[in-house]
Amino acid sequence: MGAEVPKIDFKKIEGSSPGYYAICAIWLIICLIGVYAYYLQWIYGEQLTGLNNQVPWGFGIAAVCYLIGASAGSLIVSALSGVFEKEEFKIFSRSAAFFAAAMIVAAMGAIFTDIGNPANSINFLIHFNPTSIFSWNAFLYSSYFVVCVVYLLAQFEEKKFLTRCIAVFAVGWAILVHSGTGGIIGFIYSNDFYHSSLTVPLFIVSAIASGLGLLIPTYILTFKWTKREYDLDLLWTLTKIMGAMVILLIYCFIVEGFEKGYMPASHEAFLRMITSPETPEVYVYWIGQIGLMFLALAIMLSPFRKREWAIITAGLLVAVAVFCERYTLVVPGLSYPYDIFPGYEVVKPFHIVPYYPSWTEWAIVLALFAGAYLAYCIGIKIFALLPEKAVKIEKGEVKK
Amino acid sequence: MISRRKFLVLVTASAATLATGKALSIGDNGNEHYTVDLSKYKWGMIIDVDKCTKCVLDIMKKEGIDDIEKVRPPCIVECDKANNVPHSDKYYYSLIRLYMVKETEDANPLVFPVMCQECEHPACVEVCLTQASYKREDGIIVIDLHRCIGCRYCMIACPYNARRFLWEDPKELLKVVNPEAPVRKHGVVMKCEFCVWKIDRERAEGKEPKPVCVEACPHNALIFGNLKDPNSEVSKILRTSKVLTLRAYLGTNPKVKYKLWGD
Repeated sequence: MGAEVPKIDFKKIEGSSPGYYAICAIWLIICLIGVYAYYLQWIYGEQLTGLNNQVPWGFGIAAVCYLIGASAGSLIVSALSGVFEKEEFKIFSRSAAFFAAAMIVAAMGAIFTDIGNPANSINFLIHFNPTSIFSWNAFLYSSYFVVCVVYLLAQFEEKKFLTRCIAVFAVGWAILVHSGTGGIIGFIYSNDFYHSSLTVPLFIVSAIASGLGLLIPTYILTFKWTKREYDLDLLWTLTKIMGAMVILLIYCFIVEGFEKGYMPASHEAFLRMITSPETPEVYVYWIGQIGLMFLALAIMLSPFRKREWAIITAGLLVAVAVFCERYTLVVPGLSYPYDIFPGYEVVKPFHIVPYYPSWTEWAIVLALFAGAYLAYCIGIKIFALLPEKAVKIEKGEVKK
Repeated sequence: MISRRKFLVLVTASAATLATGKALSIGDNGNEHYTVDLSKYKWGMIIDVDKCTKCVLDIMKKEGIDDIEKVRPPCIVECDKANNVPHSDKYYYSLIRLYMVKETEDANPLVFPVMCQECEHPACVEVCLTQASYKREDGIIVIDLHRCIGCRYCMIACPYNARRFLWEDPKELLKVVNPEAPVRKHGVVMKCEFCVWKIDRERAEGKEPKPVCVEACPHNALIFGNLKDPNSEVSKILRTSKVLTLRAYLGTNPKVKYKLWGD
């Protein structure tokens, strides 16, 4: 353990400026609106959502997948120094781990607010079903939160070997957690849109992309607003990783699209989903998912790519595009009815049900994001999460 | 004042307690009281599609209805009444759904009533987070309303779209309540359970049990019985007739079959 370690000074932010309180107030107001929306849903039931018996999953479940992914992606960023020995990224390790913990709590909040009978939610813990991948995930999510906190604790205590061991474990756990989440959708064999072995690895790639997409703008703005010196090259390196993930995602979409379109049983459904404006999914797919990803890539390849605004914009575009990807993963397979009578040309009723998230669904999901960011704002004030200087450590500065 | 370290340790310990509590509960299954004496039975249903088609087309003609979704034959009406199924303008809650299918656009239509297919390998039971959906020893898949958390994963997994979620409070929509059948609240999932409350009662009384829809059908199009009894009508039909299984390729092996080709 005698290797030279770059010593980084992590410090709390002062957090006493009007700007800081204004940001916290904005997050808090969004949270309160979400709490009110959830209160209404609790009283009147899920009739306040845009869901129905053909499309029983929608915005809330897309948010669950997204938040878990963003959490896994953040933890992988946090572990870049510990696992992959990229010491220059150690400056992000604490805050990214904290962000991962906040995101997984928000994800569990998304599950809680989506279920119809939250008063029975303790049954998650009491009646475990070993054949249900979702049941396993409930265990994985709660344990994943523990892993994030232990990892953060080890970092606070500056235990290098322990931190590295936990980092390796945490990355493995993050991949497991996210594979499990992909399995919730991908293993559903009754639905041709859902059933795909590609979903699980796709979830991991999306996780890294969305985690970086959220973290990169968050870091730049945090460093700027707390007047910390930072090295844009480090963030550009993260942006390049994000770009690689986006290219991989687009590749996977093409493969998956061809596979769905190739099979006679599903090609009509797939073509209709991506071409017919009967439901809003066609816009979410082409504009939200594919369009924003290409736009982000165009920015990342443009001559302005290393500018601050370009990096922030690319990150935000990828973050939104991955959310749209989660949405198109969950909703279209339900909007298009199951083929219960294969072989029959005419089946009635045959409804392609458009799903529009209601204001309560928007409010609850936005509140969960706001809650995670509020936790981050408070976290960087009460814990030493951010480096004093977010720059590469030169050789002369390395201390034992 | 609590220190940072203590705070984190407390948070971790609480979450670990929750996670461990869950792991320790593996294998806890409180359904034993349902399993007594049920192994002799395997309930199944055979639906005569020709009779159903004739009945539904007659109703459509008589009442001047064009839309199959608006037809309410006696099986659906009585099932809804007996099982406390609410009626709503916004959502379709009935546990039986009629489908009209044709081989080609100009072919004669066939009408299939589709309810829970009571699969031998039920996807809903496999995915249920809390074991709220479970298969009894007599093969009927039931939902324990006290366990259901309303996550709707079972609806996603069901290959037959046979489950309904109660989006609204059913008590406000029910005109009459059958105290023998479950009275549900909003936020849980329901499905056809072969009128399990009636089946169990009639079995205990020594009668030949029949779900409400079977009794209500004026054409004897729905045949219900014990598949383990070789002398039951369902077993005889399965031996002698050609039947259709919906989405058989999935391997769920439903116990509801459709008889298409007469005797």
